[in-house]
Amino acid sequence: MSAMLSVQNLTRTFGGLVAVNDVSFCVEEGEIFGLIGPNGAGKTTLFNLVTGLTPVTSGRQFYRDTETTRMKPHQIAALGIARTFQNIRLFGSLSALDNVMIAQHLHTRAGVFDGVLSTPRARSEERHVYDYSMTLLEKVNLASRAHQEARSFPYGDQRRLEIARALALQPKLLLLDEPGAGMNPNEKAELSDFIRHVHEEFDLTIVLIEHNVPMVMGLCDRIAVLNFGVLIALGTPSAVQNDPAVIEAYLGD
Amino acid sequence: MEGFITTYGFLMVTMTLQAMLALSLYLPLMAGQLSLASPGFYALGGFVAAVMSKSVFGFTNQQVFPLPLVFVEMAVAAAICAVVAILIGVPALRLRGIYLALATIAFVEVVRVVALNLEITGQAIGIFGVPQPFSRSFDYMALTLPMLLLAIFFVYRLERSRVGRAFSALREDELAAAAMGINPTRYKVLAFVMGAVLAGIVGVVNAHLLNTWNTRQGTFDVAILVLAYVIIGGSRTFLGPVAGGLLLTALPEVLRAAAGIQGLPAPVAQFLQDGRLIIFGVLIAVGTLFFPQGLITPRMFRRWRAAHPQPAAARRKEAQA
Amino acid sequence: MNTTLFLQQLINGVSLGMVYAIFALGYTLVFSILGIINFSHSAVFTLGAYFTYAFMGLSWGFNGLLARQSLPLELPFVLAMLAGGVVAGLVAVVIERAAFKPLRQRGADPLLTLVSSLGIAVALVNLIQFLVGAEAYSYPSARVLGPLGLPPALNLSTPEAPLIIPTVRVVIIFASLIILALLVLLINATKVGKAMRAVAEDGTTASLLGINTDRIILFTFFLSGLIGGVAGTLVGLSVTITGPYLGISFGLKGLAVIVLGGLGNIPGAVLGGLVIGIAETFAPSSLKDAVAFVILFLILLARPQGLLGKAVVQKV
Repeated sequence: MSAMLSVQNLTRTFGGLVAVNDVSFCVEEGEIFGLIGPNGAGKTTLFNLVTGLTPVTSGRQFYRDTETTRMKPHQIAALGIARTFQNIRLFGSLSALDNVMIAQHLHTRAGVFDGVLSTPRARSEERHVYDYSMTLLEKVNLASRAHQEARSFPYGDQRRLEIARALALQPKLLLLDEPGAGMNPNEKAELSDFIRHVHEEFDLTIVLIEHNVPMVMGLCDRIAVLNFGVLIALGTPSAVQNDPAVIEAYLGD
Repeated sequence: MEGFITTYGFLMVTMTLQAMLALSLYLPLMAGQLSLASPGFYALGGFVAAVMSKSVFGFTNQQVFPLPLVFVEMAVAAAICAVVAILIGVPALRLRGIYLALATIAFVEVVRVVALNLEITGQAIGIFGVPQPFSRSFDYMALTLPMLLLAIFFVYRLERSRVGRAFSALREDELAAAAMGINPTRYKVLAFVMGAVLAGIVGVVNAHLLNTWNTRQGTFDVAILVLAYVIIGGSRTFLGPVAGGLLLTALPEVLRAAAGIQGLPAPVAQFLQDGRLIIFGVLIAVGTLFFPQGLITPRMFRRWRAAHPQPAAARRKEAQA
Repeated sequence: MNTTLFLQQLINGVSLGMVYAIFALGYTLVFSILGIINFSHSAVFTLGAYFTYAFMGLSWGFNGLLARQSLPLELPFVLAMLAGGVVAGLVAVVIERAAFKPLRQRGADPLLTLVSSLGIAVALVNLIQFLVGAEAYSYPSARVLGPLGLPPALNLSTPEAPLIIPTVRVVIIFASLIILALLVLLINATKVGKAMRAVAEDGTTASLLGINTDRIILFTFFLSGLIGGVAGTLVGLSVTITGPYLGISFGLKGLAVIVLGGLGNIPGAVLGGLVIGIAETFAPSSLKDAVAFVILFLILLARPQGLLGKAVVQKV
């Protein structure tokens, strides 16, 4: 059986800069997989490659048995890969509810005329979408503010709303780009519990970018370390922690 | 009343048509696409009506044109506009912002020049004596007012549907929308095609109303005027373009009427009469200053809704509790 | 096509293209500083042509508030053109203060500024019509070429090929080249030019470095109005002032020119102007007006950022 996600010799250059350099690894089904590395190591670029937002320069990538190397973002989303963004990309002037409802696009079929004529199909779809969205918003404790503009939310709430939106895609693989950025240790602990919880409940495979080493160590089954676009270590938290190359990358200059 | 209808019947019908034209620009804007192609499709629709009514159906200016045939023309114009919109839209909608606006303006100009050169569109002279389904301008209201209401209903419902939400997502953030599984090209082209079809249908009616159609209809000036309807009226809700289209179409005539008020000093009256487009231009510039969100904003509705809780929303709240 | 006709058309094309370029530079200057399309530029362009006419002491036609009036001065053409340009520049300054600055201070959507500048254009065009009517005006060619000591046409014939060129075409090419050279010099070699480039690069940083951004913006509008006004006069010279709407149709081509060349890019504007000017001259006259837009559409599909524009990498 093949891995959930595999990247093979993946490379992306921007002009002269090699952002991701010949990176290969697999993520197994059901894992929580950590991706760490200093600033500018190419972590977010790697996410962008995997989700198709940035075209691959060379190398290949697969979701289960499907090659996704040349796929468009919406096609990759349709396979069951959802993500959040490092710099939070909510639909700011829409309500929290709309944000989550939009993400169920792939699981609904209503076309222009269904919507305009409000056919039974459209009505039943709308009801389901609404109910499921409210369920998700309740999970992230935002149901009471479902009708507020997303951009009016405090930072931490926006992060959680973005996770709820990603979950609305009903993905198999969830990519979280620094979900704990800007949170205090208490909030990070809560977030870890929350991630563990959705991992169980939604039967997910999760790839996580995080700077906070204790959080990653506690949460992840395996960890990959990137430095200057190169994969320098891959393994269990304890193995990675003691890897001389990793210590060099973090402590050296 | 009779006198009012005779004087302003044409204006009132034109107001409804212009409001629809504003909606035709608003539709792609719902998906975040600033397209100024509406006048091109509007011109196309007018030529379809003029050519079909005279050459295909063989009616003359003296005959009353049967209303059902107008609907046939609308269907043909809609089909042609949809096909052209797909052909133009698929490549052009990769462009962003002002580049897309310019590319669509290029389309408008090309339609105009092609019509100037074709025998069938009457070249520089255009097509005269387009037969009319109604004898008085005002009677067109029986057609255009339901059309406008239908268009408003369409857009209103669309905004609250799955497709409308996909449009809003694209308008807010195209990349994030794509990452949520929305196919950007597909929905941008869909919004563009809907706008094109609406503009084409408006052209059909207007060709009959004007009794003539030529290349001076549907030019760059129209594109800019329609853009002003949307921006001044408000681009965040469908009521904005409608209000903008109605008000800005009426404004020059209101100024003209104001010039006729008894007791105005002669130079003032003359300025209102001859200089009304100066005032029009200044009002557009001033309007952007005082109504940066447009005359009608979604916030107004939110405030209104907060003050008058709707039964439906209340029920939903109860169900949650 | 024989060589004579080809050369004649080429010179016509270059002359037209240079005027497009000069006109489009006015758009480009403002765009590179503020990132907005200033639609009123086309009206300022038209005003320039009319001001030059007025400064030459020529009298207005039979329509409008100023019918049959004239200014009590009779400047020679070149001086009148410069004076017309300066006044057009001042008008642009007033427009920036009245319409652009208030919107900028509120951080308004660029689209809003575009519509506002459009309103100004509509008002100005109709103001012209209100004052001097909708008829065409032209500068008497004797008063233009006479003081320069130039004949109405230049005979460049060789025994094998006859070649006669209207002098105004050559005058326009030279005038445009001078304007272009001065502009490039101003931007690259003077203090204010460096400040303009700094503001274009990043307004906030420039103001932190002690550049008075507001003054630079004002100066840019003046410069844009000045060269726009002169371009208006050159077009008036080449094809007559066809009426208050002169600049509107020209304005549209000007937009095509800057987008073709790459927004905010000076060599791009010149290249775009020449491409469109020459293509139009060689196209069949019935298709002339579509050529610019067909080219624009095709180029945009192949290079969305224009011929010389830099591709914008979208940040994720």
